[in-house]
Amino acid sequence: MSDTSTSPAVLPWRSQQKAAAHTRWLPRRETLQILSCQLLLAAGLLAIWQWATGSAAVNAFLFGSPAAIWASLEAMVRDGSVWTDIAVTGAETLAGFALGNILGTAIGLSLWYSRFISRVLQPFILALGSIPMISVAPIVIIWFGTDFSSKVAMATLSVVVVSLVISYKGAMGVDPDQINLMRALGARKPQIFRYLVVHSALTDIFAGLKMTVGFALVGAIVGEFMTSTNGLGHAIFKAGSLYIISKVFAELAVTVALSLILASIVARVERWLLPWRHDLK
Amino acid sequence: MRDGSAGTIMTGRSASTVDGGPPPPLTAIDLQKSFEGDANTAVEIIRSISFSLAKGEIVSIVGPSGCGKTTLLNTICGLTPASGGAVLWYGRELNGVPPRVGYMLQKDLLFPWRTALDNVLLGLEVKGIEKRIRRDRAHELLHRLGLDQFEGFYPSALSGGMRQRVALARTLAPNPEVLLLDEPFSALDFQTKILIERDTVRLVRGEGRSLLLITHDVEEAVSMSDRVLVLSHRPCKIVAEHRIDLPIDRTDMIEARETPQFSRYVKSIWTQLDIR
Repeated sequence: MSDTSTSPAVLPWRSQQKAAAHTRWLPRRETLQILSCQLLLAAGLLAIWQWATGSAAVNAFLFGSPAAIWASLEAMVRDGSVWTDIAVTGAETLAGFALGNILGTAIGLSLWYSRFISRVLQPFILALGSIPMISVAPIVIIWFGTDFSSKVAMATLSVVVVSLVISYKGAMGVDPDQINLMRALGARKPQIFRYLVVHSALTDIFAGLKMTVGFALVGAIVGEFMTSTNGLGHAIFKAGSLYIISKVFAELAVTVALSLILASIVARVERWLLPWRHDLK
Repeated sequence: MRDGSAGTIMTGRSASTVDGGPPPPLTAIDLQKSFEGDANTAVEIIRSISFSLAKGEIVSIVGPSGCGKTTLLNTICGLTPASGGAVLWYGRELNGVPPRVGYMLQKDLLFPWRTALDNVLLGLEVKGIEKRIRRDRAHELLHRLGLDQFEGFYPSALSGGMRQRVALARTLAPNPEVLLLDEPFSALDFQTKILIERDTVRLVRGEGRSLLLITHDVEEAVSMSDRVLVLSHRPCKIVAEHRIDLPIDRTDMIEARETPQFSRYVKSIWTQLDIR
């Protein structure tokens, strides 16, 4: 103990500060520990994979190998194909994501206006939601052709029903006491919608956005599987058909990266648009 | 509007005042409320309630918990239709929510996406009041409630007492003539409650508003009100009425509690409450 301990009045403050520093430090140390364990785990798995395929215990032709995947990635970067694929699939995904969410949210929120119409539409929405989107891909190609727009349509379809249901649930989940408050303030239905329902549903809508950005990517890639001349889905499909497994894995890694980047952009936008959500910081 | 003419308008019912003066802001006549239950059974919540609230008067309604106090408030406010009887605003029966009424619940119901100031502005925005005027009004109310420094804070950063003060400011911002408060302070700690009760009484008495306070807190009712109505269990009706007469400045909630009359009122109301 230092000389401050001679004054008893100072002591509680000192120990308080120490305690505060301790609790602040602890989570960061835990995060570091978790992060290093995750890195170790990934490195270990990759090492086992590399060793197994290298020692002929596992067929490298069928299962690829980390070294070959890395080489594929390097080649993709060198010839620039990775960037065009990312740009194409990213554009399809974002267009479908935006279109699907705008449509879904607009319909979902407006269903709040009429309980009658929403009940009439309920079975249709459920039916639409239960269709696996891959099964409509042939029709989409007939309707929208084989280029950009058909992938956007696939991505949109993968998003729209989910977005609709989530925003409708969000709108219907508004606290009835808050609606009463608005009515007591003299608000009519359009004002209740504008001042309360839209904002209140935003929390759910953003949770939906984080989910649907992944769905949109899946939709775009499924569209590219059906017919395409570029994009990540096209590259995966082509490499798979040619049995270049390490390239398939390399494209997969790029797809995962794209998905993570898109999700983090959505999270950033959410933090920016909902500054009152302290829990997001 | 004079009482004589009000009697002939619309319903033929009017709240008559003895001296023939203007009708009171709020009158309930034989108000009844039932909800439809399963299989055509009706659940009777309010059997029959009649009372009136004069201009500048504070009336509390106390009742055992679960007796339908909130339903009573929502019915008076026109948020749910009455099953029978009538609610008269200035002697007239209205459809829906009356203008110039303020409504506040135990839950502060602040919108988390609006700052304290913007929450106070809500009612004025809905009414389409000009921006500059409504900001001045909100600033003034927050200042009087001691919240100047917290105007830009989101509700999640405010304490329970501050949040309820913001809710009070929001209720008062459109300048209502009648306030309907449903257990507004019951979630607060004692000290905060006493302070905000005092602020409420000042803002009501100082500006000639009327206040109908629904509460289960007998001490709160006695210390704040001019009259206390006691409700029975469900289906509820009024079983007693007390005119509260304390020889003190009625904005002092602590002094009210120290008068000898206070404990007598509390005791007799408490026995009438029939807590089982």
